[in-house]
Amino acid sequence: MSAIVDTRIDGRTEATVAAPATLQVSNVSKRYGAGETEVIAVNNVSLTVAPGEVVLIMGPSGSGKTTLLLMLGALLKPTTGTITLNGEVISALKENRLPNIRLRHFGFVFQDFNLLAALTAQENVAIVATLAGMKNGAARQKASTLLGELGLGQRLDFLPEKLSGGEKQRVALARALVNDPMLIFADEPTANLDSKTGHETMRLLQHIAKEQGRSVVIVSHDQRIKDIADRVLWLEDGQFKDMVEMPVDPVCAMPVERGKAIEAQWNGKPYYFCAQGCRDEFMTEPARFAAK
Amino acid sequence: MLQLAQRNLFQSKARLLISVGGVGLALMLMLALDAIFSGSEQQLTAYIDNAGADVFVAQSGVYNLHMSASWLPASVVTQVQAVAGVQAVSPIMYLTEMIEVRGERNAAYIIGLPPNATLGKPWRIATGVALPPKGGTVIDQGLAKKYGLNLGDTVKVLGLELKIVGLSEGTSSITNSIAFIAMSDFAQARSVLASTTSGAGMTGMSGSGSGGAAKLVSFVLVQVVPGQSPAAVASRIEAQVSGVTAQSKTAFAAGESKLVRDMAGDVLAIMNTIGFAVGLAVLALTVYIATFARRAEYGALKALGAGNGYLYGVVLTQALISVAMGLGLGLGFTLLLAFLLPLFSSNMALVVSGQSLLTTTLTALVIAILAAILPVIQIAGLDPATVIRRRVQ
Repeated sequence: MSAIVDTRIDGRTEATVAAPATLQVSNVSKRYGAGETEVIAVNNVSLTVAPGEVVLIMGPSGSGKTTLLLMLGALLKPTTGTITLNGEVISALKENRLPNIRLRHFGFVFQDFNLLAALTAQENVAIVATLAGMKNGAARQKASTLLGELGLGQRLDFLPEKLSGGEKQRVALARALVNDPMLIFADEPTANLDSKTGHETMRLLQHIAKEQGRSVVIVSHDQRIKDIADRVLWLEDGQFKDMVEMPVDPVCAMPVERGKAIEAQWNGKPYYFCAQGCRDEFMTEPARFAAK
Repeated sequence: MLQLAQRNLFQSKARLLISVGGVGLALMLMLALDAIFSGSEQQLTAYIDNAGADVFVAQSGVYNLHMSASWLPASVVTQVQAVAGVQAVSPIMYLTEMIEVRGERNAAYIIGLPPNATLGKPWRIATGVALPPKGGTVIDQGLAKKYGLNLGDTVKVLGLELKIVGLSEGTSSITNSIAFIAMSDFAQARSVLASTTSGAGMTGMSGSGSGGAAKLVSFVLVQVVPGQSPAAVASRIEAQVSGVTAQSKTAFAAGESKLVRDMAGDVLAIMNTIGFAVGLAVLALTVYIATFARRAEYGALKALGAGNGYLYGVVLTQALISVAMGLGLGLGFTLLLAFLLPLFSSNMALVVSGQSLLTTTLTALVIAILAAILPVIQIAGLDPATVIRRRVQ
């Protein structure tokens, strides 16, 4: 059964997405193994991502977030269900057609940036444009413009090792944008960044969606990203769950499922934790955490 | 593609050094060994190339100078002279024997020359005279240097104590040198009387000190009339003079070279195989390690949409750049060796032939392609999802 739970940060469930869909996920499942060893990583998930929308997918470790992101980004084929990009069922395409889809329609931002160490910031961006058929000179020019817009105009000739984490992530963002994709997939984009640069990255992603009309799908544990998300989806056990009814861990602020969470009582009130560590930390200063 | 390959290659200088150095040394092994044999070939055919003859007439069935003996009746000289297209003839006597210096024996081609010979004599003289009179000899200056010999010193040739009257250049090889003596001394030493026949156009025949009944020579060296084809004249000689084999200089030298190649073929093949294997192993390992070290980057490129063909091209280009640099290094070292070696050993000459360079280049190309196979397989199996999947969720 499909389990679409489109939930705003304020808890109100959004009925439908009005804008024409760019990415449509219908009843998608991913199973590994068979028989007794079968693992269902993603279970019958449906989702629609509209142009200019920022969708944040959260969930505990092992919930299937990465598997879902891989399927959305045409890096992994679903076992069942369909993924449609502007009317074309990309989940049914042959493997050899997928690189071109990724190259021209998707942009990727990775947790570890994954820049090419031997190339400069400008070359890292330009190479993706040349892969799509752009002439070298034009690709370098476009890369230069994009990096300039992202505040890296003075860092064009710097190798990644000479860039800070935030600068690397901006280069990765420019690389993701260089072929003018419809969708940007970001995998934990703020995980390796400090608070300030993480915040800047979030604002950039929001800008990309709102000013340029591109869709942005983010997989992250970072609660701060909720601030820029149009929708937050909670994935657990391979399915989207309603965040409204989920208690929040008072220590790490992560939504947790009541039945599976670690519980502790304080002052006659139950509290739920994602892990024993959070519970132990809570018990050291319960008044402080309970007041949050 | 080229840019990425080049940058990847040059970013890790130590790896590049090992890769290029290893391939360079392996290719140098192949080039240098071939150059040594090419040099030896040139040295062994030096007499044929520089004797001044266009055609060499030998006993029937004798096609080589090296490792053969040829004896012809001296009457053949006049018969050859009479063949159309022959301008001049000159007989020589020849044996592979020893030059004895202070009890040490040194292999040598012993050439017996008639007085005033214009064909078959030493072509470059460092000091002294080119034509040895009776009782005299012209030896290679490298041999003389080895023993500290000078003009006027004596050496034993064919059992005769002969005085050194000249030192020649370019008359030594890795196996032997050439000593020139008077034909009369040669005949005396081997109890063979030299030809005393003389005639118009016969060089060096008049005034031979020896006269006698038995008239034998080893080879008849022939100069053809300008404009005549040596091969055609050689065919005519074979048709008109019985009991002889006549070959143009080119054919005679080619036969000599083939003999060297046949003798050295197995050694060359083994060393070339070793060079190939070493080069391949070094390059394959370094390219594989370089690819393995960057698999996350290749995975990211795949995720971003780069096709396998592009990534294969990057790896192959890296391998090709490595072997091209290795080839340059190997060639550079070989040429340096070719320059330096004669300064320390006059018996050895390295000659890098175009054929050898072409063969080594093709070998290098094969090495690059084979070395790229494993990394290509590695890339083919690389799942772009690993860029994201490092954290299992």
